[in-house]
Amino acid sequence: MIRTALALTVLASPALADAPEVPRFLAETGGIAHSFTGEWEYMVGGGVAAFDCSDDGLPDLYFAGGAGAASLWRNTSAKGGALSFERGTSGAEVDAVTGAWPLDFDSDGKMDLAVLRQGENLLMRGLGDCRFERANEAWGFDGGTAWSTAFAATWEAGQPLPTLAVGNYIDPLEEAFPWGACTENWLHRPEGDRLAPPVALTPSFCALSMLFTDWNRSGVPALRISNDREYYKGGQEQLWHLQPGEPPRLYTEAEGWQRLRIWGMGIAGADLDLDGYPEYFLTSMADNKLQALKAPKAAPILPQYADVAFAKGAHAQRPYTGGDVRPSTAWHPQFADVNNDGRLDLFIAKGNVSEMPDFAQSDPNNLLLQNADGTFTESGERAGVASMLTARGAALPDLNGDGWLDLVVVNRNAGVEVWRNQGTGQPRHWIAIDPQQPAPNLHAVNGWVEVRANGVTQRHEITVGGGHGSGQAGPLHFGLMDAPEAEVRILWPDGTEGAWQTLAADRVWTLPRDGKASAAN
Amino acid sequence: MLSRRLFTGLVLAGLVPVPGIAATEATDRDALTRDVLLTWNRLVLELVRHTATYSPPVAARAFACTGITAWEVLAGLDPDHRKSLAGQVNALTAPPAPTAPGIDPAAAMHGAMAFSVRHYFGNTGPTGQRAMRAMDSRLAERVAEGMAEDVVTRSLEHGRDVALHIIEWARSDGGEVVENMGFPRTWALGTQPGHWEPTSKIVQQQAPLLPDWPKNRPMAMPSADACGLSAPPEYSEAPASEFHVQAVEVYETVRNLTAEQKLIARFWSDDPMLSPTPPGHWIAILLEITQRDDLPADRLADALARLGIAVSDAFIACWQAKYQFDLVRPVTYIRRHIDPSFEPLLITPPFPEYPSGHSTQSGAAASVLTAIFGDNFAFDDVTHVDDGLPMRTFPSFHAAAEEAAISRLYGGIHFRAAIENGLSQGECVGEFVNRLVTFQ
Repeated sequence: MIRTALALTVLASPALADAPEVPRFLAETGGIAHSFTGEWEYMVGGGVAAFDCSDDGLPDLYFAGGAGAASLWRNTSAKGGALSFERGTSGAEVDAVTGAWPLDFDSDGKMDLAVLRQGENLLMRGLGDCRFERANEAWGFDGGTAWSTAFAATWEAGQPLPTLAVGNYIDPLEEAFPWGACTENWLHRPEGDRLAPPVALTPSFCALSMLFTDWNRSGVPALRISNDREYYKGGQEQLWHLQPGEPPRLYTEAEGWQRLRIWGMGIAGADLDLDGYPEYFLTSMADNKLQALKAPKAAPILPQYADVAFAKGAHAQRPYTGGDVRPSTAWHPQFADVNNDGRLDLFIAKGNVSEMPDFAQSDPNNLLLQNADGTFTESGERAGVASMLTARGAALPDLNGDGWLDLVVVNRNAGVEVWRNQGTGQPRHWIAIDPQQPAPNLHAVNGWVEVRANGVTQRHEITVGGGHGSGQAGPLHFGLMDAPEAEVRILWPDGTEGAWQTLAADRVWTLPRDGKASAAN
Repeated sequence: MLSRRLFTGLVLAGLVPVPGIAATEATDRDALTRDVLLTWNRLVLELVRHTATYSPPVAARAFACTGITAWEVLAGLDPDHRKSLAGQVNALTAPPAPTAPGIDPAAAMHGAMAFSVRHYFGNTGPTGQRAMRAMDSRLAERVAEGMAEDVVTRSLEHGRDVALHIIEWARSDGGEVVENMGFPRTWALGTQPGHWEPTSKIVQQQAPLLPDWPKNRPMAMPSADACGLSAPPEYSEAPASEFHVQAVEVYETVRNLTAEQKLIARFWSDDPMLSPTPPGHWIAILLEITQRDDLPADRLADALARLGIAVSDAFIACWQAKYQFDLVRPVTYIRRHIDPSFEPLLITPPFPEYPSGHSTQSGAAASVLTAIFGDNFAFDDVTHVDDGLPMRTFPSFHAAAEEAAISRLYGGIHFRAAIENGLSQGECVGEFVNRLVTFQ
């Protein structure tokens, strides 16, 4: 009998060893009281910007309010302790906000905010101490009057200011026949020390997410746009060339682009299979996509992707708990290593659009932990984040600086939810990297951070954009499993490869372009 | 952006102002009645596109129900010249007659369509709900202009009564409730060689669409198998077999598609949630002809009823055969036995192959429209202009149906047998519909 039991234990060990460790999330709002509210005009959007505006090393939070006012919450958490926030007076408490993304527009070392709205969009200049002022006029930014729902930014070669892409949704005045009434997306490029008048990215197909990303590692990011097929006619997903000094130009079928039509709601990109090229997760309704390049070794690489969501167990097409078996509605996707095992996991915010009876009303958020073989295991319920509220935007910052990524979710017509990640019970290591180069593009947007440990090289592209209404800025987090140190280097946006540096784990490191790394803690 | 034709339709209904041009005033109540019916049907085409349960068979049923409703409103107002479908369509009884004289046809039509559309599309999303409210409000205002309030009220109520009667009739046909977008929760695959297998990576579509649809009560056909089909070529993997030869034909066709063939495949693809669906495509053709030829309200209502019944019965007949023969799709067979890298041009629908639904319903539609408008009736098809697919012109309804059918071969979706036999099946369905008497 004893021999039999031992044999079973031995047989079971490999499977147990391969199962991802599940982090325990504790619901803890830290005093935040905020909701994204509104009716039809706010059925999409509802984001959060997570970034450190108080220079204390911890991310603060700015929430879109929809019909209500946006709000900023200063992070007063003790390191490694319970979450705590205080409502701030930032100057950005405007109404009609659908989403917000942090970026250092003027490369002055203070984070600014791109605030998208149902109406005029705003660029808010960071003044320090979590205060902001309107900068549309100063920076030449035409905020328009549209229903804006997607944002991305990059620094084109040789430019002192970033190029901004703003995605716009339907014309809200089209009551009886809103379908086919997608308004134009805008591209704002620099002209001297200001932005030039925007260029329309036509055709526009009701964008809900945009991301500048170097999909083929050419050194020049392209603009990926995910569009909502509910409202466009003749539309599809899009990828735009953006060569410096040239007009934007769509990738065509002749270049290999393959038509895809989904209810595109959010984009997340990450190099999941460690081949050097990003995979992309696209959220939709009942039909999420995980796209992997079909032929990354081809020359030239064609923008042709295989949908591996089903094969990888990342399809997340219907609720996994709660008994509602109708199809899911997915919004903000984000890759992040929440259990510090060196493998990126995937969080997906879920929630019905608004009384759509063919889709799940009780639609839990997903937390898909990546297995050693590259597949995913749904762990939202075990981790404690399977909320049934109607989610939209989200962020996964380390709110209390303990090295475990926490979770913030914005819900429509319900309160914001915050969970503190209490870890897996295992003493896992991590490292966070903050690249810095001289202005412009202080934070090396569209450069890459590479971290070598445990025999593999993880790499994250530094991006501004994507998700659903939500953006995050700050040091990039890497799980290291048992490794007490890692080799780190930066691939700067101009293609320069930084030197490998060996850095101790469990710290936030600043990596200047021409100097030695320094630990912030 | 509104399409030119949609925009024109709205202008006719007085819904949108045109700068520099005075809104066209409907000169009589019949023209207004026609415009009310046109405008609601324009909205119905959008609601079909944007309501998740509206796969082609479900859409066809809704077109039939709203079409019958429209006809019965007008038939009741002129029983000397128009004959009710009660007693002709299966299980349909006579709708309420007007209880008093002085029913305005435009207001009655609006009352009927507003009630009817809200019922059949009650599960659409928030934008569709908003659009229905806006349409109801604007058209109600339009039909009331210059009319006595009591007449308007009485007429709206009569229209609602007729709509409710049709709704109650349809409740028992088997198609009223569509759960999980029509996909069963569990499904046991067939065991015979060449059985259907899932072709999609969407979880829902691991089971086929609407396997119980053949149990629905047909409208003009006496039974679901009244237009039965001979079996497709016997399944075989032998290179010389007819089945394999037809698979090779699909493979070679897709590999050597001309630009024109690609355009044809996409023009008739009519994917659910991306178009008004294949039956909606035929409704769109009818609406376009109505505007071009300035058809009176009763001819439009008659045609909508007949066309709706035809496509609805066609899907019942077609689905009966699909689940009887349970045949594998070309993409599955070709990848397994000819070329594992085969990619059809179009998305393969999630249900068995034989016969082609496009072919059956197009055959039925062509049969009915030819009976109404005559043979060699040329028309322009602008259904997908808004979607960037240019207008196509056809010399006859049959020519259009044949192109719709062969488009499925170009798309890599169907074998030839499903296309040719599907068209014949549709003709059979159409003959039952053509026996209905409406004008007398």
